[in-house]
Amino acid sequence: MKLQTKTNIGIISVFLILGVSAAFMTFKWQNDHAIKAAENRVRLYIRAGWEIYNSKIERIQATLKVLAEDQRLQRLLRDHADGALLDEVLSELQAIRSDQNMDILNVLDSSGRVILRTRHPEMRYDQVSDDPMIRKVIKERRGCGGTVLLDEKRLGAEGQDLVQWCTRYGGEAEGMMTGAAVPILRNGKLIGIIQMGNLLNGSVEKVDRIRDSLFENEQYDGKPVGTATVFMRDLRISTNVLDQNGARAIGTRASEEVADRVLGKGLSWTGRALVVNAWYLSQYDPIRDPDGRVIGMLYIGSLEKRYLDQRSRAVFMNLAIVFGGMVLAMTVFFLIMRTILSPIRRLYRATRRLSKGDLSHRIEVRSRDEIGELSDSFNYMAEQLLEDQLKIQQSQAELERRNEELRVTNRNYMEMLGFVSHELKSPLGSAVLGVYSVKDGYLGTLSEAQQRILTSVASSLDYLNEMIKHYLDLSRLEKGELKINKRIVRLKEEILEPSIQGLMPSLEDKQMTLESDVPELFALCCDPQAMRIVSENLLSNAVKYGKTGGSIHVSAMVCGDQAVFTVMNEGEGIARDKLDLLFRKFSRIDQPNTAGKKGTGLGLYICREIVEQHGGKISGESVAGKWTRFTVSLPGAVTIH
Amino acid sequence: MIKTKARILVVDDDVQHVDTVKTLLESVGYSVDYAYLPEKAIEKAKSSPPDLILLDVMFAGPPGPDGVETSRRIHADAALKKVPVIILSGVRKVLDLPFKLEPDDEWMPVTAFLEKPVKPDKLLAEIARALGK
Repeated sequence: MKLQTKTNIGIISVFLILGVSAAFMTFKWQNDHAIKAAENRVRLYIRAGWEIYNSKIERIQATLKVLAEDQRLQRLLRDHADGALLDEVLSELQAIRSDQNMDILNVLDSSGRVILRTRHPEMRYDQVSDDPMIRKVIKERRGCGGTVLLDEKRLGAEGQDLVQWCTRYGGEAEGMMTGAAVPILRNGKLIGIIQMGNLLNGSVEKVDRIRDSLFENEQYDGKPVGTATVFMRDLRISTNVLDQNGARAIGTRASEEVADRVLGKGLSWTGRALVVNAWYLSQYDPIRDPDGRVIGMLYIGSLEKRYLDQRSRAVFMNLAIVFGGMVLAMTVFFLIMRTILSPIRRLYRATRRLSKGDLSHRIEVRSRDEIGELSDSFNYMAEQLLEDQLKIQQSQAELERRNEELRVTNRNYMEMLGFVSHELKSPLGSAVLGVYSVKDGYLGTLSEAQQRILTSVASSLDYLNEMIKHYLDLSRLEKGELKINKRIVRLKEEILEPSIQGLMPSLEDKQMTLESDVPELFALCCDPQAMRIVSENLLSNAVKYGKTGGSIHVSAMVCGDQAVFTVMNEGEGIARDKLDLLFRKFSRIDQPNTAGKKGTGLGLYICREIVEQHGGKISGESVAGKWTRFTVSLPGAVTIH
Repeated sequence: MIKTKARILVVDDDVQHVDTVKTLLESVGYSVDYAYLPEKAIEKAKSSPPDLILLDVMFAGPPGPDGVETSRRIHADAALKKVPVIILSGVRKVLDLPFKLEPDDEWMPVTAFLEKPVKPDKLLAEIARALGK
């Protein structure tokens, strides 16, 4: 793997881990924070809702306080029968009720009996002291505002139209009223009570005011951003939540879960609530009457989708920032890596060129950092290599020149050797013929002494002949004139027999027998003339160093893809450690059994050269005192016809 | 030993060699004539055809035909066509010459090829064999 790939993978992994962690943290924080913020917001909304809810009550209370000070009202309480006064007060109070848009405005005596009912003046003197608001005023002699439930009897007392009104929205002949009652005091003594209130059933003024001040009647995604509802017990009696048909969802009920907690336990309920068809972050607060009994609920809901979308936007923004940052960081990193890696790559290319032999290539050093130092070192190394190469080339040229000189000298020497040897052959020819003619008795009988001397001379001439032959062969080999022209050759007919012919006299002299089990048709692939030199040398050695009266054995065989032939003779043999020396040029082994036998030390060297030029091998083995055997193996197409 | 006195023409530029061969051959009963140059040998053979020619291959002296060429010319003469030729040369068979030198009736009348130095037994045996043909 390339360095760049490694660093890329490494840094991308680091960035990915960082990025994913950052994204996860952001998401988690946003999530927690957004929900908490939304819940807090709903809590604030409901507090504000309560302020609006209560401010109306306080306003009623304030109005009532002013009325309670009215002298005519006090007089009327002292004398109910004053018809003229009653009419005057009634018409005034009716005007106030109408002006304030109130449902009831009653004047009661100190026991809670209705003295004057502005809605239905004909109905009076009924007892309403079971109204917790009234009860509280009687008991504590001070004003009381709040919300109370009005049962069917009380509603009926206030007016049958109110009973009908309430049943229209809930089916229950019960009403929920906000309002206040204020004591009418004279000299610190309770003489009556004035009560004013408004039925919440079906009235939307309060909830719409709450909604409008908190949410400005805003729409989000086709749905109101916030809604407010007043429940009588669990019944929606005043709401701006719309049902599927777009009508206010008055008359529907709250969920059991909410009712249990708020109505049953008197606690607030905060959470997500499915309101008709959308999720709202909601809070339900209990509404209590002056006795502290839970009689209904105030609900404020804020559309959840708005928060979720806000959160999504925030998360998206954060992710965009994180990933944007990552991309930016990676880009910067890759740019830096490139500036670091490109000189390394230049170095790599330079080393490749160097290894391919381009020693003249240098790296441009652009920086003074470690890479720059490395490039410097590289250039220095290349410089040194170039110098060394030049030196080597010079000494090689010198060596070449000397070798050439040596070759010329050697060739000259060999030319001369060949020439001299060749020139020697002619006089040697007549000398051998002459000496042998005399020695063999063609020119008359010899004395024993004459015979001995001539035999010795003849032997010297034979050695001289052998020497000349070897020197001629050597000269040819060294001059590279010996060309190997291979063809399929019959070993026995073309090589062994001509070689043996010339050796017959020596064989007879030493009374040796020559056995051959070479098949007539055994063939090998070689240059017949060259191979004849080999066989002549091996055979003449066998005769020369063989035991007098012993035997020479020639055999041939196919061994794998090699043609092998061996020449073996009985005799003293050769020490094993000296066998290899035999194949060296001018090698002569000093052994007792070779003493007095002349040799040029070239025969086996010539044999080895010729065999090796055929791609073959020659080797010798020997058992001291018993036999010596030379083996020639030649490769190539071997066929036995 | 030899019933008819066969005539042998020895052709060689080595005076000592000619002398030795002549002495040996005459001692065993042959009649010997000789020439030192190929042209002379061809001339002698034509004027008086021998029974056998003993011929060297390489000749020193002025440029002229070599032994092989000489034997061809002799062979070309109708009167000498049947005369056997034995080559006796210092040339090492084959190695020194760029062409085939095995005795072959087809292209030259050489019956034997002997390499110097030759021993009298071998020389006499080859001459007897060639004459007996």
